[in-house]
Amino acid sequence: MKHSSPLPALLLALLAPLAAIAAEPAATETPAATPPAVAAPAAPAAAAGAAATPDTRALDEEIQSIKKDAVDLNRDLFVLEEELLFPANTQVAVFLSMDVGDFFALDTVELRIDDKQVAKHLYTPREAEALLKGGVQRLYLGNLKVGNHEVVALFSGKGPQGQDYTRGATVKFEKSVGAKYLELKISDRQAKHQPEFEIRDWE
Amino acid sequence: MLAALLLAAAVPGAQPYRLLGQGAPDFTLRATSGTNFRLAEYRGRVVVLAFWGSRCGQCGAQLGAVNRAVNTYQSAGLEALAVNVDDDPVAAARFAVAHPVGFPVLLDPGKQVGRAYRVDNLPMLLLVDRGGTIRWAARDYKSDSEAAYLAQVRTLLDE
Repeated sequence: MKHSSPLPALLLALLAPLAAIAAEPAATETPAATPPAVAAPAAPAAAAGAAATPDTRALDEEIQSIKKDAVDLNRDLFVLEEELLFPANTQVAVFLSMDVGDFFALDTVELRIDDKQVAKHLYTPREAEALLKGGVQRLYLGNLKVGNHEVVALFSGKGPQGQDYTRGATVKFEKSVGAKYLELKISDRQAKHQPEFEIRDWE
Repeated sequence: MLAALLLAAAVPGAQPYRLLGQGAPDFTLRATSGTNFRLAEYRGRVVVLAFWGSRCGQCGAQLGAVNRAVNTYQSAGLEALAVNVDDDPVAAARFAVAHPVGFPVLLDPGKQVGRAYRVDNLPMLLLVDRGGTIRWAARDYKSDSEAAYLAQVRTLLDE
């Protein structure tokens, strides 16, 4: 027959107040509601963590600051590049937007300026969905000299009954000094149950 | 020595792939299913780009190997896009029907994407990591190629 010795329990009972006394300074540093007996072994680790935290925080703040500087610099360079490549007096930009889209599922847009293809874009379902949610895509950014020009846009996709559907829109405009922004707009003509395609000055 | 160098220069795929370590050029292509797919939309996943042609002897085997890998590792973040570089989309569609795969089969009849990726031999396999960088290239397919390719796939998926 095996008897359990009362000695370990006695030692534990004697050591518990000592452990509580040893834990007191740590408890004052970290006023957590943990029992002293539990806090005692955690105290050195907590002290080490408290010592490392300010350094880590400073390093983290420095990293964030450098990241912000990099983002700001990138933005400035982007603006500078656009100003150099597309000066405001010759700049032409063409944007695409969609409204509703019940009668037309967009697949491709081809853009021609003065009978020269300048952009062609295939739309994935995600891109088309983004446009339907109100997104606006910059389809083309380029330069044109002052004078008369013609823009032709060819839209391909699925029509009201799911059939292949291609339509075009044309606009002639006079480019003056200053940037010119055009919008290709696809919307639904509810009365005719047909999509409508137009090119207009960006407002 | 000179003869060996000349031979190495003349054999497609013998020279190191130039785009290794560079960002994968983005593209949008139409699939045989009629849907358009864009590479940039797969950012955050490991992508296998398999370039193939209908007259290529090993392309069917390679597409089968890619299909097996995608079936196994798709849940871990593996995707695949097969890019056909045939002039004739009808021949490509016929080949795709004969070798069915569970990932998009894209058509590049104008070969813009083939040129952008400097495809000089078929079949050609590229691995694009989650950040959009080309990390591995194989410009031929042998019976033992699958093991090497799977090892690379696992490495990229673990990153």
